Amino acid sequence: MSFELMSNLVGAFFTLCIFSFLYKDNPLYQMSEQLLVGISLGYGLVLTYERVFVPYFYQPLFLKQQWILIIPSIIGMFYLLRFSRKLSWLSRYPIAFSMMGVGASVPLAMHTSILVQMRQAMVPLESVNLFLIFFGTIAVLLYFFFSKAHAGLYGKFVNVGKWYMMVGFGASFGLTVMARISLLIGRIQFLVNDVMGLLK
Amino acid sequence: MNFFERIQKLDRRWIYIVVALAIVIPLMIPYNSDNVTTPPTENLYQMIDSFSGREDRALLLSFAHDASTMPELFPMEVAILRHCFERNIKVFMLTWLPQGGPIIDYAINTVKEEYPDIKSGVDYCNFGYIPAALAMPTIIGMGDNISTTVKTDAEGRKVENLPIMKALNNYSELNLVVEFSGSVAGMSWLFYARPKFGLNVSVGVTAVMAADQYPYLQSGQFIGMLAGLKGAAEYEKLVDVFAAYREPGSPIRPTFDEEGVKIIPGRSFSSDILADDAAKKLINITTQSIAIFSPAEFQLFIDKYPDKTALFNQIKTEQDGKILIDVRTVTEQQKEELGYLAWGDLNRMTRNILYKFKVARIGMNAQSVAHIMIILFIILGNIGYFIQKARTAKK
Amino acid sequence: MKKTIPLMIVIIGGIFWFGWALSTHKFFQDDFYYSFYMPWARAMAPFAMLLGVVSLSMMHTNKIKRRAPKWQYSYFFFAGFVVTTLAGFIGGTQKGGVYMWMFENMQMPMSATMFALLAFYMASAAYKAFRARSPEATVLLLAAILVMLAQVPLGVQISKHLPTISQWILDVPNLASKRGIMLGVGLGSVATTLKIMLGIERSYLGGGD
Repeated sequence: MSFELMSNLVGAFFTLCIFSFLYKDNPLYQMSEQLLVGISLGYGLVLTYERVFVPYFYQPLFLKQQWILIIPSIIGMFYLLRFSRKLSWLSRYPIAFSMMGVGASVPLAMHTSILVQMRQAMVPLESVNLFLIFFGTIAVLLYFFFSKAHAGLYGKFVNVGKWYMMVGFGASFGLTVMARISLLIGRIQFLVNDVMGLLK
Repeated sequence: MNFFERIQKLDRRWIYIVVALAIVIPLMIPYNSDNVTTPPTENLYQMIDSFSGREDRALLLSFAHDASTMPELFPMEVAILRHCFERNIKVFMLTWLPQGGPIIDYAINTVKEEYPDIKSGVDYCNFGYIPAALAMPTIIGMGDNISTTVKTDAEGRKVENLPIMKALNNYSELNLVVEFSGSVAGMSWLFYARPKFGLNVSVGVTAVMAADQYPYLQSGQFIGMLAGLKGAAEYEKLVDVFAAYREPGSPIRPTFDEEGVKIIPGRSFSSDILADDAAKKLINITTQSIAIFSPAEFQLFIDKYPDKTALFNQIKTEQDGKILIDVRTVTEQQKEELGYLAWGDLNRMTRNILYKFKVARIGMNAQSVAHIMIILFIILGNIGYFIQKARTAKK
Repeated sequence: MKKTIPLMIVIIGGIFWFGWALSTHKFFQDDFYYSFYMPWARAMAPFAMLLGVVSLSMMHTNKIKRRAPKWQYSYFFFAGFVVTTLAGFIGGTQKGGVYMWMFENMQMPMSATMFALLAFYMASAAYKAFRARSPEATVLLLAAILVMLAQVPLGVQISKHLPTISQWILDVPNLASKRGIMLGVGLGSVATTLKIMLGIERSYLGGGD
């Protein structure tokens, strides 16, 4: 038995363990699920040590003697105080440090998702499609504006937004079907070609 | 319980069996089908193709996903890499996720097997895993200078010394990024690099997210998009029809003419060729083993290998004024005599597509059956529901 | 002290970040960002990973101690974690080692299969829950079926106009609805961000004083 075949058989075994959940919950599925979590965590831990801890903490602190980095590492350790009843308030410091980045997201998100999109929504309505897009965008926006009652002519206009959204959700659902089936196809291609192909 | 109540309450495991069969059977029995290409895919293809043969243009592939969405995104990555290697396009790769590193290696190795001339550091460069915490400074830094931002590649070599960097400085040359993702695709590039440096951004996304990207496509923030397995299948098709296409008389590797100008094999995108019936012969996903030439084409073909004329004449057969070579009848010894280049060229003329380059299209065959099945499920479920409702109303 | 200082960090740091996004001044780009923020954030980052390790380990230890339902399987969590970690630290992370082998032949197939289960659930939901109960639901259903048919080769053989219709649905009504939602969500998140920066929204710091 070649090494490749053995590796693929191991992969196939765990694939089938997970699929067995479709019949009913069973020990093989439970075992694989916990193994998956354990391996993922171990994988992440080793890579974090190798690619983050060593180059960005150990080397600058001990090899380049940037002693100031002791402060952020102590703040970083405060994360672990979450589990202490008395000192858990200290874990707010690293959280606050990572939260301050939101300041940059205001102008950047404004530009990418709001200003550019608004500019594109306001181009001259030279074709029927552009008009339909403009009309639909306004109607959808107003649909979520609850400060004015959705009644009378205004209500009818706002209702158009709902129909637009239904078409949009329908399109999303149609594409979702393809996405989910693709994932299954990938697994079955693995079982049929990579494993059975080698067995032949 | 009457019949309609019963089909309403059908055990889910029966449905699961139908789903499994609907996918397994078409995967085991491949048939030829055609995936219509859509504008987002064509736009991305043309943009990438415009870099072909140029030293001062490159694209960057960002592998922002793990194994869970690989069935949809991996065929896209393979198809784009194949396009780059066929058309001599410089390509870079990186990932923000620890799980992405093995996927990049796997993608390169899958494609590279077929392109022994392609060299790491010359034709492509893998930056490997860059921690997500460094994504922002990396994206911004590369706008000023690539080799001072990403100092070493995944193999530990200094990036600035690599031959691929000769004419590449920053985003003026590394002009396009394609991010493959199953969650927030391309947003960090749109946030930081697009407004500041005008970098061209495009994405390969899972089909779940595809519909949400249309506002960005219309505004030009994304120049193109590959949407799920269908996008991958479309791209595979475009590569087969254009980038990997060879005339019988044309060389299969890049060559130089008398003036030293590089000639890149393959042909440029054209919607006329795509609409033409002749293109259908290039995209058969069933196994092809016979190369068919007209006498004039055959002459052009064997002229490329003057010392092997006798051998080619030995293995050819004639039928209805066409010259046929069945590669299954070629013996091991004859293969050896032909040599790697001529044998590879002959195989190309059969228009056979290797399995790894048609994975998405075989998958789309299974999608066909599965989609019809889901639609039938919806219709059946609704019929049962309405009849049941009418009966209850009567009572 | 317990809440005020973290709030001040967010507010003052947020203002610096705001300046970083808008200004090319050396103070924001070099002094604040490259010299201060990057090295600090990098030095802090590994400890967040440790938080995950400690919290999952504590959860499973408690499960075993209390003999909670399915406690036996927690041993598999520890087995996977310990073996991978040791393999990584002792054998190294390069391809060909035990560490990468475990990742490629155990973690990757399992996580991919977890997601593949969704295909079955979705088919079952399509049969049991996707009903044309109202005119709106009917429109949703029709749009979905049109897009689904146009995606696949077999569907396109029914009518060659299907891809055009589906592309129009995606390009026009879908685009308008997604843009409307995106603008709404975008404005909402900008408002939330401003609330965080101004110290009005503080739930991310947790309860207590």
